[in-house]
Amino acid sequence: MASASVLSEYKAPISAHFSPYDFNGGTVLAIAGNDFALIATDTRLSQGFAIHSRECPKTFTLTNNTILGCCGFHGDVLTLTKTLAARLQIFEKDHNKPMPTASIAAMLSTILYYRRFFPYYTHNVVAGLDEEGKGCVYSFDPVGCYEKESFRAKGSASAMLQPLLDNQIGGKNQNGYTAQSLTSTQCVALVKDVFTSAAERDIYTGDNIIISVVNKDGIKSEKFPLRRD
Amino acid sequence: MMSINGSPGPLWTGGPIPGQFYNFPGGKSDSNNTQRVRSVNPIVTGTSVLAVQFKGGVVIAADTLGSYGSLAKYRDLKRLLKVNDTTVIGAAGDYADFQYMSNIIQQQVINDEVINDGFGYTPKSVHCLLTRILYNRRSQFNPLWNTYIIAGIEEDQPYLGYVDKIGMAYEAPSLACGFGAYVALPIIRDALEKKPDISKDEAVALIDRCMKLMYYRDARALNKYQLAVITKDGVDIKGPIISETNWEVAHMIRGYE
Amino acid sequence: MFLTRSEYDRGVNTFSPEGRLFQVEYAIEAIKLGSTAIGLKTNEGVVLAVEKRVTSSLIEAGSIEKIMEVDKHIACAMSGLIADSKTLIDKARVEAQNHWFTYNENMGVEGVTQAVSNLALQFGDDDPDPGAMSRPFGVALLFAGVDEKGPRLFHMDPSGTFIQYDGKAIGSGSEGAQQALQEVYHKSMTLKEACKAALTILKQVMEEKLNSTNVEMCTVTPQNLFRMFTKEELEDIIREI
Repeated sequence: MASASVLSEYKAPISAHFSPYDFNGGTVLAIAGNDFALIATDTRLSQGFAIHSRECPKTFTLTNNTILGCCGFHGDVLTLTKTLAARLQIFEKDHNKPMPTASIAAMLSTILYYRRFFPYYTHNVVAGLDEEGKGCVYSFDPVGCYEKESFRAKGSASAMLQPLLDNQIGGKNQNGYTAQSLTSTQCVALVKDVFTSAAERDIYTGDNIIISVVNKDGIKSEKFPLRRD
Repeated sequence: MMSINGSPGPLWTGGPIPGQFYNFPGGKSDSNNTQRVRSVNPIVTGTSVLAVQFKGGVVIAADTLGSYGSLAKYRDLKRLLKVNDTTVIGAAGDYADFQYMSNIIQQQVINDEVINDGFGYTPKSVHCLLTRILYNRRSQFNPLWNTYIIAGIEEDQPYLGYVDKIGMAYEAPSLACGFGAYVALPIIRDALEKKPDISKDEAVALIDRCMKLMYYRDARALNKYQLAVITKDGVDIKGPIISETNWEVAHMIRGYE
Repeated sequence: MFLTRSEYDRGVNTFSPEGRLFQVEYAIEAIKLGSTAIGLKTNEGVVLAVEKRVTSSLIEAGSIEKIMEVDKHIACAMSGLIADSKTLIDKARVEAQNHWFTYNENMGVEGVTQAVSNLALQFGDDDPDPGAMSRPFGVALLFAGVDEKGPRLFHMDPSGTFIQYDGKAIGSGSEGAQQALQEVYHKSMTLKEACKAALTILKQVMEEKLNSTNVEMCTVTPQNLFRMFTKEELEDIIREI
């Protein structure tokens, strides 16, 4: 009896728990227009209260037509984007054409789902032009469920950005207003505003945004500063 | 999205949290009891590594203390590894894992040399190799408990890369791991912000100052360290260098007795 | 060719001093014993027509199958050792479905042909690959299909070489049929004309009298994709010949 109570006072040795995941922040946002697609990312890479890098964009140019936004755990982001780059090159050599945006989305879904029980902890959005030259956006959950949408914010500040986009692009919660399709210039201005707002409240979003617009002439990117604290 | 102590947020609302066991709603499984623990704690550890780029090269430094928990067990451990004439890596975390990794890298360098085609590792390729090895090991739930900083010259430009035990990697003009990321890095970044193209001497002085600061503030640090300067002329590992310290200021501190 | 037969036609992976792989060449010869198959491409689609050798009145002609569906948009006709084609067709079908599963689009005809041709040279005396053959395949294939580049026709032989054609004949009657195809083919041919031409040429080169039971025909078009001709539809065309 006595020995049992003495033993119970011993605790297991303190051990550093190993987690294979981390959260490195970052926000991405994509909008599909009539003849263009836009994708924006912030450039901050964080871990807890530390900022690792202020120059780490989370968008990745996959083809002349398609850009991926990918954030969450940066180790998985690196691995996933590397896998994708290899798969795209193999496809291009096998089939003598770059992979179309819709196919990239379908393939990404299978890649993510193959890791269903040890997921890539990444929030993905694919933006680009479809085979008719129209803008398209596909958004994914970490295990490969995906959907074609016209605008989507992903990552750390997504819960702040998405309602704003619903209102400003989707025309939601406005009396007597019907949504109109925006030009790429209007979208770029909107993206700067929503990211500036998000950077005020979210410590995992900041430093810079890189806005890339895909249209029939190719991809154009611009950089815009956010607060750095 | 994330709690203060750094655990990642759930994959989706109400969903599983990455890296933790999840009992599906309605299921009866209690997987917590069958958990296999393959990963271990770090045993003998090294603390921070600091590095900064300057015009034409890189400086990297690490002290020589091997801690066994709070015991300062080994006082002359070298934590900088010269890979070749363009690359040095510095390691924090478990020292045995670093020795294991050193063996892999040195064997690879020999294999490359044997091929004798004039191609060898560059800082960027070492960085990539380490990232893949560490990511693979974390994916097998058997991590190498290290953070590495890779310093060198890549195509005549200074190169600095970081990778940790879960395969999180990036490049930056100044780097520090562990406690150094909180104590020294802000000072290094501040210096670079005021003058982006510092000279070699300025970089060495900056790192010297930060190493001394680490010794003052980090209970797992030592005032004896190695410092490597990598330029296009090659690798120069200095030291062990002893920081001259002054503890008079310690008497002024009040409130923590 | 047979006059110069030497020790070098024994091993399937041994080059002769003249730089030839006899076993592969013999396999190509084997095709010339097979029944005739014709493929013809038009702007509207592709047609495949094959001869079936019904050597006994007791054969159930419908059980001889020499045109197969690879995917909704790709058909395959064959000549030679038909049993060998099963492995190749299986491979083609798996590749096509895999492509659709992963990329959510139809696989290109060239892609399918390329994938199948990779199997063709995986033979050898001591090949450790499971499922690999000890000899070359004894069958030639015509892949007909529609993809984003329009209607396409590919020929693949036992050496794994594949070439795109506007019109191609394989099998025992191939020499005469190819000649006839070149005479009749023109760029603005309609699919209907092509079907009629294919059967006409088949009739010329067949030993038996052509009827609706000893031929098979299919079309692949952008609108209707793969479609086999019924007995009645065949009879309608045969009457016009």
